[in-house]
Amino acid sequence: MQNFKNKLYNYETPPPEEIWNRISEGMQSEKVINISHHRKSKFIFYATAAAVSVVIIFLGSLFFKNEKISNSTGNVATKENPISPQKMKDSMFLNQKILESIIHNPKEKKEIVSNDLRETNIHTKYLTIEGPNGKPVKISPKVATLIVYADKEFPPRPVWSDKICKWQQIMLSSTISPTSAGLADLVQNASNNDKLQ
Amino acid sequence: MTATSNHIPSESDLIKGCIEGDAQMQRLLYDQFSPKMYGVCLRYTENTEDANDVMQEGFIKVYKSLSKFRAEGSFEGWIRRIFINTSIEHYRKKVKLYNVTEVQENTIEDSELDALDSLATKDILNIVNKLSPGYKQVFNLHVVEGYSHKEIADLLGITEGTSKSQLARAKGVLKKMIEAGIGSTNRN
Repeated sequence: MQNFKNKLYNYETPPPEEIWNRISEGMQSEKVINISHHRKSKFIFYATAAAVSVVIIFLGSLFFKNEKISNSTGNVATKENPISPQKMKDSMFLNQKILESIIHNPKEKKEIVSNDLRETNIHTKYLTIEGPNGKPVKISPKVATLIVYADKEFPPRPVWSDKICKWQQIMLSSTISPTSAGLADLVQNASNNDKLQ
Repeated sequence: MTATSNHIPSESDLIKGCIEGDAQMQRLLYDQFSPKMYGVCLRYTENTEDANDVMQEGFIKVYKSLSKFRAEGSFEGWIRRIFINTSIEHYRKKVKLYNVTEVQENTIEDSELDALDSLATKDILNIVNKLSPGYKQVFNLHVVEGYSHKEIADLLGITEGTSKSQLARAKGVLKKMIEAGIGSTNRN
């Protein structure tokens, strides 16, 4: 390396004092920027967390709302609360009325049942049976009709088969029904009697 | 103002202190390297105002980048590269470099610049600073720092051929200035 190259490479001279002041100020502002950036990051983090929570709550409410709707449109209402004695009495009376109609008029059982169920005064009432967990279960007249109709002559559509079977099982094991057997059992007996005659 | 301390910290302590934001250590590092780095800044910039700006920007970069220093080379070399890069960035912000037509330049042997050896460093610096910015960058990078034309091309965003041409022209201009006895005027 030539001498002038070394001279240039190693050339040094003290910088003006003001430069350090500028650097020092620059470093301070960098710190401020870093702190504000940190705060900004924290704010973004919390804002994101809040937004995600709101979305989860919203989606959750939508999910439960849909579930509630599907339950309410299913024509089968399960009640956790105990039924009042008056309501129980009304339900028993309705059950009795329908069952008597079926037992005493087996030939026309389908028409009787549906006629009874079409009556305006009972249209909004429910049949009450005992569910598998021992709790009272109310069944809408429409479903009751469907369950009653469900036999070999009038098989339900495949999509309903499983549900009908399930409810028939529940009703067979029901102890709240006014008779010693469940509604479906009685319907079955009535149907057998009908065949024997 | 100069930081005073009876205990001179080691290079690693200095680096560690600066990373931790210790203002005293930052000042010590500045005191240790600022004269040399200011020399670098003066060589690559066109005036003292630009040199001061690069000096400030360069040291802030050094402090911010210290955590990335891997001690694979010398610490001074690492700082110097930061200052050279900062000078080039500063220069490129101001001047758009264009590739020049590559022509066969008359090769000027380094020996023809031997006359510079006899001059005082400040006079050499004055002569080199009279080169146009493009010539000066290439001359400093290749002749003084020892960068290859490939490295210079990458750094300046030009072709290797352009780098070679610029260097040849820079040497030609320097030779003429030496012959004319220019170099005693002060930098603004």
